[in-house]
Amino acid sequence: MPGKGTITDVSVLQERLASVERSAAEKEQQLERYAADLRETFKRERERRHELRRSYMATVRALCNAVEARDAYTGKHAERVAAYGMEIAKVLDAPFSEDPEVEFGFLLHDVGKVAVPDSILWKPEPLTPEERLLMERHPVVGWEILCEIDFLGEAKLVVRHHHERWDGDGYPDRLAGDLIPLAARVFAVADVLDALTTVRPYRQPSSIEDARAVIEEARGTQFDPEVVAAFMEIPPSRLDAIRLEVG
Amino acid sequence: MRSVLIVDDDPFIRKLVSTTLEDVASFKLHEAANGIEAVELAAEVHPEVVFLDIDMPRMDGIEACRRIRELDNGAASKATIVMLTAAGAQENETRARSAGADLFLTKPFSPLDLLRLVDELS
Repeated sequence: MPGKGTITDVSVLQERLASVERSAAEKEQQLERYAADLRETFKRERERRHELRRSYMATVRALCNAVEARDAYTGKHAERVAAYGMEIAKVLDAPFSEDPEVEFGFLLHDVGKVAVPDSILWKPEPLTPEERLLMERHPVVGWEILCEIDFLGEAKLVVRHHHERWDGDGYPDRLAGDLIPLAARVFAVADVLDALTTVRPYRQPSSIEDARAVIEEARGTQFDPEVVAAFMEIPPSRLDAIRLEVG
Repeated sequence: MRSVLIVDDDPFIRKLVSTTLEDVASFKLHEAANGIEAVELAAEVHPEVVFLDIDMPRMDGIEACRRIRELDNGAASKATIVMLTAAGAQENETRARSAGADLFLTKPFSPLDLLRLVDELS
């Protein structure tokens, strides 16, 4: 009966209560231990993710350097193009503007040139039709070299389509307009910008202003008009800063 | 199929251990709530690993450990027996070791230690 318990009943109840409390405390400690392990696992996993990203980047750069080592003139062409390309992507607010994969694609765009003989790559005279055909295979060769590497994802499409033109007159697949992956359309502008503004054996570099005029001129023919519009929004001083930064 | 036996009188702990180990290795997981059930189940399913709470009503972990070791079947008596002990119970550990326990996890145990242990044994 309530209120009529004996002293024994009370002590039994107290004991039971103490046992329940002990058990609850044990559960709580065990849960805290799980939480602590989860936190440590998360931190370790985050650190590994960064490590993995760094080693992907180093691998891509090594491959890119191996390609560029053949060409004394272009120097850090790939790195500059990657930096210009990411800048244009930012203005476009492209879905890949934060995506390292696409940057890898920018860096590796010419990897297929390993299959182009020196005699063609270095030929000062215009190429014969056969030589041109061989030269124009480099995007496909590059794509084939990289196609088994999962972490490159979209980058492989940049490599394959970096010589397509908006009007469909490019290569290798003669894609036109929106059928060309956006990252490759962005790349095309960045590539020409760098080609025009760096020293080549046959001519002096153009100023950024002149290069902008040339690109504007090819809007809607060689280049995606929207990408050109985004590019024109970038102040020339910013492009200069990128060029100096990369070197 | 290879199996793991999880023995604790607290269903919360059994659930926690089995959820932690689920799908991690190709072990089938069995549960028992006290020493008597543990010995019966060990005789039946021949576990490769037994997680055994030391402090249980009816038959405690130490006694269960001894009886599992004495079972007349090769598999269970050769099982890796992991004692779940309370912190600071040195004396219990010594007794458990002489009853045939191989390893110890102190409660509250680290789930990562639990996973690593099973991973190594699988």
